[in-house]
Amino acid sequence: MSLEIELILLMPVAGALASLLSPGRIAALATSAASALALLFAAAACAGPLLDGPAIEYGPWYADGLSAVFLLLTCIVCLASSVYSYGYISEDRREGAVGHRDERRYYVMLNLFSAAMMAVCVVGSMGIMWIAIEVTTLISAFLVGFYKREADVEASWKYLMICSVGITLGLMGIVLMYASSAHILGESPDALEWPVLYGAAAGLDPTLMKMAFAFVIIGFGTKMGLVPMHTWLPDAHSQSPTPVSAMLSAALLNCALYAILRFLMITEIAVPGFASTILICFGALSLAAAGAFILISRDFKRMLAYSSIEHMGIIAIGFGIGSPLAVFGALIHVMAHSLTKPLMFFSAGNVIQGYGTRNMDEIRGLRKSMPFTAFMAAAGAAALGGMPPFSVFVGEATVIWGAVDSGMHALAAAMAVLLVLVFAGLTRSVLGMMRGDPGREVREPGGASRASAMAALLAATLALGLFMPDWLGDALRSIAEWFSGGAR
Amino acid sequence: MDPALAGNLIDLCAVAMLLLSMLAMTTTRMGQLLNAFAAQSLFLAALAFVVGDVTGHSRIWTIGAITLAVKVVLIPRFLKYTSDRIHVGRDIDSTMGIPGSLLISAVLIIVAYIVAEPLVATLETITRNCLAMSMSVILIGLFMMVTRRKAMTEAIGLLMMENGLFLGVMSLSYGMPLVVELGIFFDVLMAAVIIGIFAQRISKTFDSIDTSVLRRLRE
Amino acid sequence: MISAGFAASVAQGILMIALAPLFAGVLCKLKARMQRRSGCGLLQPYRDVAKLFRKAEKVSDSASWLFRAVPYACFGSMALLSFMTPFMLAEVAAPFGDLVAMVYVFTLYRFMMVLGGLEGGSVFGGMGSSRETMMSVLIEPSLLLAVMALAGLAGGGTDMGGIPGSLIGMGVIVLSPALILAAASFFITLLAENARIPFDNPSTHLELTMVHEGMLLEYSGRGLGLMELSSMMRLTIFASMLCSLFFPWGIALSPALPDLAAGLASVLLKMLAAMAAIALIESYLAKYRLFKLPNLLTASFALSLLAMISLYIL
Repeated sequence: MSLEIELILLMPVAGALASLLSPGRIAALATSAASALALLFAAAACAGPLLDGPAIEYGPWYADGLSAVFLLLTCIVCLASSVYSYGYISEDRREGAVGHRDERRYYVMLNLFSAAMMAVCVVGSMGIMWIAIEVTTLISAFLVGFYKREADVEASWKYLMICSVGITLGLMGIVLMYASSAHILGESPDALEWPVLYGAAAGLDPTLMKMAFAFVIIGFGTKMGLVPMHTWLPDAHSQSPTPVSAMLSAALLNCALYAILRFLMITEIAVPGFASTILICFGALSLAAAGAFILISRDFKRMLAYSSIEHMGIIAIGFGIGSPLAVFGALIHVMAHSLTKPLMFFSAGNVIQGYGTRNMDEIRGLRKSMPFTAFMAAAGAAALGGMPPFSVFVGEATVIWGAVDSGMHALAAAMAVLLVLVFAGLTRSVLGMMRGDPGREVREPGGASRASAMAALLAATLALGLFMPDWLGDALRSIAEWFSGGAR
Repeated sequence: MDPALAGNLIDLCAVAMLLLSMLAMTTTRMGQLLNAFAAQSLFLAALAFVVGDVTGHSRIWTIGAITLAVKVVLIPRFLKYTSDRIHVGRDIDSTMGIPGSLLISAVLIIVAYIVAEPLVATLETITRNCLAMSMSVILIGLFMMVTRRKAMTEAIGLLMMENGLFLGVMSLSYGMPLVVELGIFFDVLMAAVIIGIFAQRISKTFDSIDTSVLRRLRE
Repeated sequence: MISAGFAASVAQGILMIALAPLFAGVLCKLKARMQRRSGCGLLQPYRDVAKLFRKAEKVSDSASWLFRAVPYACFGSMALLSFMTPFMLAEVAAPFGDLVAMVYVFTLYRFMMVLGGLEGGSVFGGMGSSRETMMSVLIEPSLLLAVMALAGLAGGGTDMGGIPGSLIGMGVIVLSPALILAAASFFITLLAENARIPFDNPSTHLELTMVHEGMLLEYSGRGLGLMELSSMMRLTIFASMLCSLFFPWGIALSPALPDLAAGLASVLLKMLAAMAAIALIESYLAKYRLFKLPNLLTASFALSLLAMISLYIL
């Protein structure tokens, strides 16, 4: 019996234990080491399923190509965040914002949060997937409210309540799906395993599956930040410590997305055309609403949070269209977003720690006061806004192309207009901070850990846009083919 | 057990759960609210026992027993402890009057019925009639979370929603695989504990557990 | 030739009228006992009514003929209902006695009483009338829904005489949520309609709280006697509907003598239980504030609505 998946999950758990037992600085190192090892093991384990090999399937675990993409992204984001945390939390300690015990607790929670998110991507049973997602909410609520100031408590309470309600409705969806399979699969304990359900999808009861997907999209859509269930998201993203914001945005939303995709694949077979239409509607709504909020938002991190909603909207549209091309675009976009958003959040973290405010109107002269961060923020904003040659552009362009290809011209046109608007809003806000004079002495928070995390992410998102390796392209293309109904 | 009688008992338990949800809508006292939740969970457990007896699944007995332990005893005890510590006042905390919320609950029940009706036809369980009740309990719990302003009442709304969900599980498929079910119970328990912790944190940070003070974060 | 059934049902109507003060006395006695008082005798209400009938009647100068007519109208409507409602026998004398008519005869009674209260020209009468009107707006929908749910459950139309038979015929199935909910709603309506605690205090004349008594304040002598008697009849009718329509087991389905005797015994027992329940509530609860009453009545409405819905859901 192989232990490849257990090894991946064991790493963050071991990291949590190490953080619990060691002083702050070592805890930070242990966390980074654990995430690096998890990434390594994940890469080793995922190579098979990703490169057209068979899916890993044993015990409660199940990992095919789709899981591999999401698992690797989660691991990368966790690694980047834990490396960045080293510099960020030390700075907080120097300023006295967090104490010794808080620091240790932070790393324990961070590790457990990573473990829960990784687990979401590799479990086979939809029920256990639900449990893992609920666990991510419960753990990250502590991270969101880490600083315990009024606004943090508010954000974490909202986060906890709204996401718990959402996830409860999501469970109703799972239950309905389970019931829809009862007449073909019986009451077997395997009836919640995804591969079993996928195999039996054609025989599932369509009425129940429709209702199930409605519950699932509302439930997990809450967690994914789809408008109008997104209200927790800007608060949680803006109030949590910056590395956690990056994880929420780039990894946690992906986990919810992953769960929805699993349902989408089953529902599309049972009731063709129903789930994808709903997903496109929610995606378009999210894109439009988040675009408007990006234009008016004056809080740096809230703006980034709305940008996450916007990107989730694009991704939802891509998967909703469901043609191999659009799904390919959506997959690239998932990756691009997960690489770019942490970069942007980390830049924001530097700026916010340096200036002591999140209000973009009060931040001036970034270019003079912190040149490295300014460069990163400008590059990140360009990447996030979808400027070529960054990978986000590739993703967006492919999704729009996919929409045109599938005959949804109006949708493609609306997306293009909205994306231009978002780009304008994003660059105006970020470039506005570059100009002028800081007006006071601002020190750039330095440190190798921050710089390396940000530089690596920038390089990655650029590389994904410019030189995507053939094997990755082939892998994504074959996942897209399979996702949209072709044989793997 | 006689199937007709069992069917009646199941229906009665489901209706009692719904009634307790509505009772919770009308009450503003923490003690009563907790008792209503505990009683609702008790009926849920009773329903599980009846279903277990009729269908002969030992797994459902286990679920009933865990419901009894976790939802009737542990969670209400813990929330009682929490609410004693943070001195939940007795003042009215709803943003809506009692008759109004009762009438809206009635409307929600009708909505739940309309939603559930096409589903019921596809099911073969003896508990399938409870589906509409389950959706009503979920919707009323949701409505309670929306209109109530105290952290603890919101939490009870959430827990009642979860009760409705378990009723739905019973109604749709006699419960999920045991591993999943156990995990869900664990999650619910954890959620209750964490909600309690956060409620204490709110009361410590804001000197109030009225969540209407939580309005700093907005555009 | 008058059939045995008709004769028995007429007898049952007369019996209900005759027994009404006795049930009021039983309730009074039970309540007193629960509060550790010895209380008046069981027959005291008969003596009260008889005394009132002997007394002279004083009528306010401002009152018109309507004021005198109201007690007769009230008594008449209650007497009519006595012949419409099953008591010990399912068959009823009035063939048109269906549930909707029942609700509207009650409304007629209330309407006449409100007019009487206003006719007296006193402040308290007007106040009582306005309060009664407010409550009736809330009571009527839930009463109507509760009995409709019952009719729907019995599945045989709204004929009061047919309901007990079809309910008994359904066996254990009938003990469904719809019946329990409708009965609970009906019980709350019973308390409200009969001016019992927590809606009204039947034994007070405190101007701030009274509803029902306010309207009777100007009446005296024979008029008051009739009004009191019809109040007692209303309680009896409501309680016997609860006992014979919602929980009909034991009722005589045929007019044979042994059946009738068994029916009478069982209905008397059930009535005793109902009176005990009312007495218990009256001893346990305090009167609600007037402005809290809508809460309770909305709850009753919600219950009956739920009964109605559960008929279709379950």
